[in-house]
Amino acid sequence: MPSKPIQDEKRVFMTGNEVVAWAALAARADIMYGYPITPQNEIMHYWTRLAPKHDKKFLQTEDELSAGFTTIGGVLAGFKAFTATAGPGNTLMQEPMSMAEMMRLPTVVVVQQRGGPSTATVIYSQQEVMLTTFGGNGEGLRIVYSTANHQELFDYTIKAFNSAWKYRFPTFVLGDGYQAKMREPLTIYDPLDKNIELVKPEPYVGKPGTPAIDRPPTQLRNTFSMEEELFEALQEIIGDYEKVAPEIAEYQSFGTEDADLVIIAHGVVSRAARLAVKEMQENGLKVGYFRPITLRPMPVKEIQEIASRVKRFLVVESAYGQLARLLKEAAYRSTAEMVPLYKPGVGVTAEEVVKKAKEILS
Amino acid sequence: MAKSIKIVLAGEGGQGVQAVAEIIAEAANEEGREALYIPNFGVEQRGGVSVAFVQISDEPIGSPKFETGDIVVALSDRAIYRTKQYVGPQTTFVYDSGIEGINGALPRNAAKVVGIPAIEVAKNELHPRVFNIIIMGAVVGATGVISKEEAETAIEKKLGYKFEKQPDLRDLNFKAIQRGIELVSKVS
Repeated sequence: MPSKPIQDEKRVFMTGNEVVAWAALAARADIMYGYPITPQNEIMHYWTRLAPKHDKKFLQTEDELSAGFTTIGGVLAGFKAFTATAGPGNTLMQEPMSMAEMMRLPTVVVVQQRGGPSTATVIYSQQEVMLTTFGGNGEGLRIVYSTANHQELFDYTIKAFNSAWKYRFPTFVLGDGYQAKMREPLTIYDPLDKNIELVKPEPYVGKPGTPAIDRPPTQLRNTFSMEEELFEALQEIIGDYEKVAPEIAEYQSFGTEDADLVIIAHGVVSRAARLAVKEMQENGLKVGYFRPITLRPMPVKEIQEIASRVKRFLVVESAYGQLARLLKEAAYRSTAEMVPLYKPGVGVTAEEVVKKAKEILS
Repeated sequence: MAKSIKIVLAGEGGQGVQAVAEIIAEAANEEGREALYIPNFGVEQRGGVSVAFVQISDEPIGSPKFETGDIVVALSDRAIYRTKQYVGPQTTFVYDSGIEGINGALPRNAAKVVGIPAIEVAKNELHPRVFNIIIMGAVVGATGVISKEEAETAIEKKLGYKFEKQPDLRDLNFKAIQRGIELVSKVS
């Protein structure tokens, strides 16, 4: 019997990488496959410390391609398997994850974004948004949660395993180097103590019984000889994805009702956006706040609703318009203006957001 | 903007600025306040200036890094150059007065520039190993971000296992806190 991962709910002060390891443990992940790359290395460092005490496994692979494919192997065998990566590692990770997309495999990948393109910095960015939402050769049939603080990093890592195994799409927790390396307080807990149901994994291969007689046969295909066959298979997967997308999509929003300007940000940048909006509201400005928590699928309905009545958005991100691209697609047909505050590869402070917003409003 | 105290600590590797940043942030967290600490980190494995960013607040903290600090502490000549960008009209800039060859390098736009002989006090009065605790005292003294007692509790929590074997170390560390506080109160 594996021991209880977290005895009592407790407030802790730790780095985001450590938070992820604890959350994976709390989610009853069975195995992590990993290859080191800054700034996510400590996820596997902490996992390897925790794993033996809780009868969990770890395998270090030779690169990220292998980490991704072994994660797929773990999932096929019926284990809650995950990996973590960043930057150029995330680029390589797209190859196995597009296979997971084609086969509907519930892999979980934690991404701690670093600067790009290429090696760039090991520090921070929000430049892996397009890569994580639509990477690989495929259609972006995946779930991506963008977290903003350590509590969310804990909560959404647990949720990622649940969503992956419930919907059977590859699932990503999109953090960044700041969240990876900073320390701040959060409450860690055993989800079972909070009546959070943990979706049980099950094997894809090696199931008991004779296929087609005792049980439906398992068909795992990522290769098709006829284009029509592929088309048919994709119709089904895309149909399933579109059906569950509204149920998966999450967002936060306030003060958009009579706003002259709505500030949109995701992830760690939304912290600055939130503070900026609060301050401007206190000073009597009609400014609202919107933050997609899922970047894939996007909360399309809510974005369209706001875009139908708000004239201007300020889109703030540590990338050159990657979030804006997703927003523009979601808000298609709206004539709302999207004013950019793009700072690729560097952080954004509340002061900068206030300054830009006031410029727009004046 | 929610009132928070923003601290930048910078020094050479081994001067212990990251440890001080972490102890201060943890102490504030223990008091139930919002606290966030992030080290700078780059591709270099060693060498380079070590910088720590700390924010303590009664309300949720925004971005992990910030434009200007309320207090910026630089403990080497390179750290002085490196941290200039975090100095603004509200900043108290603290540096070690024993650093040589920095004429004209000190920031001119700070609210206050304070030189303290922390390296000298550590070497001649206390012990070089508590240098960073003197700096911690200076930060506590200059900002009041945590009380002296809270600082002592935090040190006890961090180093208590060492104190058990060597009780003198406790005294040494607590003296270092006290001296750090005195050093900044004398000049201000």
